[in-house]
Amino acid sequence: METSTEKSETALAQPKAKSTTGQTIVELRGVTKVFWRGKEELRVLDGINLDIPEGSFEALMGPSGSGKSTLLNLIAGLDRVSSGTARVANRDLTTLGDSDLAKFRAQTVGFIFQAYNLMPVLTARENVELPLLLTNLSGAERKKRALTALRVVGLEDRTEHYPRQLSGGQEQRVAIARAIVNDPAIIVADEPTGDLDRKSADDILNLLDKLNREFKKTILMVTHDPAAAERATILRKLDKGVLI
Amino acid sequence: MTIGGIGIRNVWRNKTRTSLTVLGGAVAVVAFILLRTVLWAWNVGVEYSAKDRLATRHKVSLIMPVPKRYVDNIRQIPGIKETTWANWFGGKDPRRPDEFFGTLAVDPASFFQVYSEMSVPPPDLARWQEDRRGAIVGDVLARKLGVKVGDKVTLQGTIFPGDWEFNVDGIYVATQKSVDRSQLLFHWAYLNESLPERNKDLVGWIISRIDNPSQSAALTMAVDKLFDEKDVQTTTMSERSMNNSFMAAFSAILTALNIVSVIILLIMMLILGNTIAMGVRERTREYGVLRALGFSPKHVATFVIGEALTIGVLAGVLGCALSYPIVQLGMGRWLEENMGAFFPYFRISLETALFAAALSVLLGAVSAIIPAMQASKLTIIDALRRVG
Repeated sequence: METSTEKSETALAQPKAKSTTGQTIVELRGVTKVFWRGKEELRVLDGINLDIPEGSFEALMGPSGSGKSTLLNLIAGLDRVSSGTARVANRDLTTLGDSDLAKFRAQTVGFIFQAYNLMPVLTARENVELPLLLTNLSGAERKKRALTALRVVGLEDRTEHYPRQLSGGQEQRVAIARAIVNDPAIIVADEPTGDLDRKSADDILNLLDKLNREFKKTILMVTHDPAAAERATILRKLDKGVLI
Repeated sequence: MTIGGIGIRNVWRNKTRTSLTVLGGAVAVVAFILLRTVLWAWNVGVEYSAKDRLATRHKVSLIMPVPKRYVDNIRQIPGIKETTWANWFGGKDPRRPDEFFGTLAVDPASFFQVYSEMSVPPPDLARWQEDRRGAIVGDVLARKLGVKVGDKVTLQGTIFPGDWEFNVDGIYVATQKSVDRSQLLFHWAYLNESLPERNKDLVGWIISRIDNPSQSAALTMAVDKLFDEKDVQTTTMSERSMNNSFMAAFSAILTALNIVSVIILLIMMLILGNTIAMGVRERTREYGVLRALGFSPKHVATFVIGEALTIGVLAGVLGCALSYPIVQLGMGRWLEENMGAFFPYFRISLETALFAAALSVLLGAVSAIIPAMQASKLTIIDALRRVG
């Protein structure tokens, strides 16, 4: 019988055949998110209904303040809905406690931030290894997996470099390796090319494309960049908290 | 790589700030060790008091004398092995009137039998016992006064006015660390014969050596009972109690030193807390990323506390290392040479060093409690929005 760790290792090391299961990995129903500024109510998301099929590569666009990042945060379990239901990878996020929500993020979601957000005191390999500290894997196994993830993103020759020794594009690739090292069900990317020049941005988009096509990763990407959005298989637009 | 290990690595992200904080903490540890060693050294006389010695003084006060004939009375009590006596003379070196050292008029025949931890070469002792104007000087005082056996030394009396000339017949050394090596001892008879008739044949205090320390309590009662019906009543106590009562006169100073040592620790904690809080503010976004990756608030607190503990350990170790040359070799030697009456043995005890190091680590952890709580309570979204 294949263990979950073996399965995870296999998933990262070997590309999958091009196919999608067709199952829904994200299911939002009537999701509303309200923030309060003093006594003033700010309705950032208003009755969102959304289904994202497993294995898809979706881009979410919209003007600033339209609620894109908030929607991404809710799907990733970084924040909680004000009302409605949010199911991701068969987990009802509205019923999970803080501890279970943290586990959900560690096991199910891979994050890619606009500003990379690598820890400067850790090498590329150690940054990628970071999410694995929450597992029971041995040090040797963690290292092996981190190196595999770095190989997938094409940074096998930069494993012991610190973030300050890498270019912006390379830093973002380390961040992507960190996002996939746990073999998450869904990758969420918030403006992943926002801080990069065109060439580096194209490299990152090619990599995301590869993760989607070859490794069957579901990707949800918030972007302002039309060129980035073109890479997605589905494009969704959000305006004033409503999907249009 | 471990979670705590990452916290330790974070310590060195701002090397200047961390170095200054560690140095500040180390200075606080040195100051703490200095004050605790002062307190320890002050009490060393009490700690090392002989268990088989009793001191008898006037019931009202140590500064009031008792009749010398009481010595003979005490010697008759069964269980008393040796008895001697002494008077505080209060002499000063006229060349250095500000320097303090003990000058005692003692009985040359019995004094070194009762104080066997003070050692004088037998020929010197014999010469002194025959020399009415002779003096025995502690080795530290002899060095300070620049005298050797055969020299003459003149002191000015503060209680018994006039110039008093003594022949230095011998130098005593200590065989026990609590002994004040800065004393000058001379014949009680030399002092007594110079006094007016009404002040003759009085002694400051009487010291007795007993056969069995377990009989100490019974013998103190027996001695005092002997003089209950006399004009001058006595108070007899163990040497430890006597030293304790002497120390009680300085209790306000000792309490002040204790308070200052606590204040120093509080300052150290605030310095550490401020550094940790600054680090937390700077790394808020990283803590948000860690939380996003699935780390719990407890993990974030571990990062913060690990950082504080590391600084606490470094400050403790550096402080202890600096204390040895500064406190023990520097100030300690000076105090022994110049204030031997109060600090006959000024050394950093192992307990003091370990206590200071442990406190440094503990305070490091305590100082991180509030920053750790703040870091762990941040919501992920707020933390991720925080810029640098």
